[in-house]
Amino acid sequence: MPNQSPPTRYSAVAQGFHWLIAALIVVQFTLGWTAGNLPIGARKLARLDWHKSFGMTILMLAVLRLLWRLFHRPPELPAGMTAIERQLARATHVLFYVLLFVMPLTGWVMSSAKNFSVSWFHQFTWPNLIGPNERAFDVLRTTHDTLSWLLFALASLHILAALKHHFWHKDDVLKRMLPFTKSEKRS
Amino acid sequence: MRNIYLAGTAAVLLGAAAAVAAVASYTSDAQQSRLEFVGLQAGAEFKGVFHKFTANVDFAPDALASSRIDVQIDMNSVDSMDKDRDATIRGKDVFDVAHNPTAHYLTKSITKTAAGFAAVGALTLRGVTKDIPIEFQFVPGAAGAAKLSGSAKLNRLDFGVGQGDWKSTDTVGDAVKINFSLVLKPKG
Repeated sequence: MPNQSPPTRYSAVAQGFHWLIAALIVVQFTLGWTAGNLPIGARKLARLDWHKSFGMTILMLAVLRLLWRLFHRPPELPAGMTAIERQLARATHVLFYVLLFVMPLTGWVMSSAKNFSVSWFHQFTWPNLIGPNERAFDVLRTTHDTLSWLLFALASLHILAALKHHFWHKDDVLKRMLPFTKSEKRS
Repeated sequence: MRNIYLAGTAAVLLGAAAAVAAVASYTSDAQQSRLEFVGLQAGAEFKGVFHKFTANVDFAPDALASSRIDVQIDMNSVDSMDKDRDATIRGKDVFDVAHNPTAHYLTKSITKTAAGFAAVGALTLRGVTKDIPIEFQFVPGAAGAAKLSGSAKLNRLDFGVGQGDWKSTDTVGDAVKINFSLVLKPKG
């Protein structure tokens, strides 16, 4: 593989992972943030039920995506980028991967600490990772909330950067992640 | 002919008297006994226990007609290992402990089964009384003690446990499993 030249576009699999997980994250923000504002009750429970099922789906997809990523090379960054821009782009992507794991995991442990086991769409139940622990729950909940803001900020930066590449630099950074487009080399 | 009937009746009465005499009376050891419920919430099982309950048991395997199990449960002692959930369960939409502080179970009949015993009893929960069957094992222990353990199933909505939003069974299932393990000591 090291001898192969890097692809110019993201593959269908890479695009599938990217857009599926992106869509699920939007769903997760909607469910998670609105559930957080609901009083304790059946409606909050129902919303968090979906939130947990989707969250565990993201965790499973993240495992597959990371494995896939380890064996597949992404397209290279455009030549015109400065060293700082490259490092920032790399750091953003690494942090995304970290959060893809840490968000569901903190949610899972937090549910365990609260003694509300996590179901996957009522098909099966994930084991509790820790026993009931009120203090651990409080800490994990704060962590999960804070990291959701970090993820939100990161996603905003990511979207703005993609738009900047597309409209300002007029390169194919956005297009190569879009299905049904062709990435012609734009200078 | 009449004498035969009389003799027969007398024999039955004597038998019943003998059966009454054969029943041993027990009360549950509060520390060692356990009363647990298992429900389904958001697709996942959750367990809770009642810390305070008393069982008075008159029982002998060969005198089931005069055996009975009588359990009083302090609904306020519910513990599902989460204070928010416990507060909700005690609240007016679920157990409504302010108006229904105790639940009561009293057997009406007990029969022998292949695996142990089965009973039907009246359960009063949240002000509603309904017959609930149970299955149990009875194991005599040392010094007149015994262990009575078993299980039951009930539908919470039959007792109005779950009002308002909690009537929906999408998030909290209707079926609830009960497990009990009573450590019985002889009544002194």
